Amino acid sequence: MIAQTPILIVVIPLLFSLICPLIGLWRKGLCYFWAILALSLCALASIDTLFAVMGGGTIHYRLGGWAPPFGIEYVIDHLNAMMLVIVSLISLIVAIYSRRSVEQELPEKIVYFYTVFLLQVTGFLGIVITGDLFNLYVFLEISSLAGYALIAIGEDGAPLATFRYIVMGTIGACFYLLGVGYIYINTGSLNMADVQQILPQLYHSKVILTAVAFLLAGLAIKMALFPVHGWLPDAYTKAPSATSALIAPLMTKISLYVMVRVLFTVFKPHLSVELLPVTDIMVWAGFIAILGGAIMALAQTDFKRMLCYIVVAEVGYIVGGVGLANTTAMKGAILHILNDAVMTVGLFTVAGIIMYKTKSHSISDFKDLFKKMPFTMAAFVVVAMSIIGVPPTCGFFSKWYLIQGALIAKHWAFLGALLFSSLVCVILFFRVIEVGYDIRASHGGQAHGAGHPAIIDEAPLSMLIPTIAIAMAIILIGLYNQAILSDIIAFAVPKF
Amino acid sequence: MKILSLITVVLVGAALIYGTLDMPKWGDPHSPASTHVSPYYLHHSMDDTATPNVVTSVLADYRGYDTLGETAVIFTAGMACILLLRRGHKSRGKRHV
Amino acid sequence: MFEFIVGHYNYWMYIGLMMIGFYAMMAKRNLIKKIIGMNIFQSAIILFYISTSVKRGATVPILEHAHGGHGAHHAVDVMQYANPLPHVLMLTAIVVMVATLGVAVAVCIMIYRRYNTLEEDEIIMSIRRG
Repeated sequence: MIAQTPILIVVIPLLFSLICPLIGLWRKGLCYFWAILALSLCALASIDTLFAVMGGGTIHYRLGGWAPPFGIEYVIDHLNAMMLVIVSLISLIVAIYSRRSVEQELPEKIVYFYTVFLLQVTGFLGIVITGDLFNLYVFLEISSLAGYALIAIGEDGAPLATFRYIVMGTIGACFYLLGVGYIYINTGSLNMADVQQILPQLYHSKVILTAVAFLLAGLAIKMALFPVHGWLPDAYTKAPSATSALIAPLMTKISLYVMVRVLFTVFKPHLSVELLPVTDIMVWAGFIAILGGAIMALAQTDFKRMLCYIVVAEVGYIVGGVGLANTTAMKGAILHILNDAVMTVGLFTVAGIIMYKTKSHSISDFKDLFKKMPFTMAAFVVVAMSIIGVPPTCGFFSKWYLIQGALIAKHWAFLGALLFSSLVCVILFFRVIEVGYDIRASHGGQAHGAGHPAIIDEAPLSMLIPTIAIAMAIILIGLYNQAILSDIIAFAVPKF
Repeated sequence: MKILSLITVVLVGAALIYGTLDMPKWGDPHSPASTHVSPYYLHHSMDDTATPNVVTSVLADYRGYDTLGETAVIFTAGMACILLLRRGHKSRGKRHV
Repeated sequence: MFEFIVGHYNYWMYIGLMMIGFYAMMAKRNLIKKIIGMNIFQSAIILFYISTSVKRGATVPILEHAHGGHGAHHAVDVMQYANPLPHVLMLTAIVVMVATLGVAVAVCIMIYRRYNTLEEDEIIMSIRRG
């Protein structure tokens, strides 16, 4: 690993996005390959960083050579490194997948789509890698602005959904900035490690209480924690397929990562667990989010909207898991960040393929899909099994740890919510499978019958191969979950 | 809806004001923000960066990476506006509202 | 008591300004009024930060008599100069605010092209009518 790899992870997508419009002036079709090149280099750098952290411990990279807290510093520990790999690999897979979808839905906007795509990935990586509170805000705004643009070019109704997202997203970012400001006024520093040293004397002051409240409130808006999730269903449903496949898995998980950083690196666990009832509130917030997301998902007839409410419920799992405040639940929550990112990208890529083929994302239009697109629907079944929590898919293992954590903490309500949501997911996915296999019609009197030839009209390879790769990754992560837990996640869990 | 907004605004404002009760007084030269990191910038700006304007030396040198991020924000906003507003060749020549 | 108010009234003023902007963002029905509220909210946060960099009797953080060639280093009296760090952070925040304003207005233009109005009630009615 060369010494500059940490900065290369963020700078490569940024530089490539600067050159992307020039390449688009020359030849439009090259922008797709340019974006894939950028994200492949970035993925290589982040995998390299992960192995460096696993081998050598936390990496400290000083930007400009200035010592912290006078300059900005990148701190890459196990949690960071894992998040970097998740973000860069998922962006690469969505970029490969996006070609046909963008050509069909956004034919005149290909060049600038890939430019803004790369900028959003830059923003995500910058948020995850930094060790400075204000630097995080700057990159949060880069990714937010890029996200607003990518969502607003979607179908009819997307601009209004984006406007609501802009208002709520700005409120969230401003609350985060206020929280950082309150911390700065009373400590004088913006570096996360430095603030952790200075704060303990101030834990009983009103300023720090307000700072924690506003930081968490701002992040709750950004991660769409029920009931401030109102922006998410409209925005992600009406966005173009490639955009929702990129943003849906990543934006909420990155906000969850920032919450873990704020609670356990900036403030010591002592504050959130013992001094203030933060973690108690978080478990109940997670409980409400799981129930709210699951119940709202049951009421949807639009496939993508149903997936959005599943995302809301999954955020509840992780918030509640962090709130349970014991090691097992934290392991489950961090593993669930990884699993949920992979499962959500699987769901939205399947939705995008269905949109590409049938030009619709309403469940009633899914007739005969299992016969027409067997491979896609096989991948969908694997992802659905993972969300329900069936071994050996990865979803089972993270739910298992969360359930164990709830048992250790004797929080029966959260345990009940976990089991209830698995049941609801069974109902949701079986409904889709029922329409897709046309089960009712073949039982009833409709003249579909066995004489109907099964025309296989499968998705194009550039969309199909990433989807199948995600399904295989779900099974592989499930099979290797012990290795991931012991080599990476065990070091990322804070000491309670 | 307006009453709900008013209640939310009053609660948020009250929370923020509650937080300011412990803050250092306005203009206090011994506040934590004025005595922890920023004296380093004032003392060493001439030695490290040969710039008497300390705001410039912090912006462009000590925290230059934030300035790069800020430039990237402007670029992102520009690209976003092109993506959102530019009309394709097909719709040119059609009557628009 | 009076000293307490004199020492903290700057924070309270800016919080009041923030809440005016916050109320406009949430309660107003016209999209442009929401954008103006967003601008007021973010400007008030910027002013809040800047007000913390003030020191009684201090001047701007530009070192005086600094260009004297090698060895002409006067001792820098930190009490004489205002705190430079909030100014730097807020320069970046102003740029972010303007960029967000630009993208929000661009989205408003898209909405206007489609629905020919900028009132949220009329847009929702227009969507419901199909």
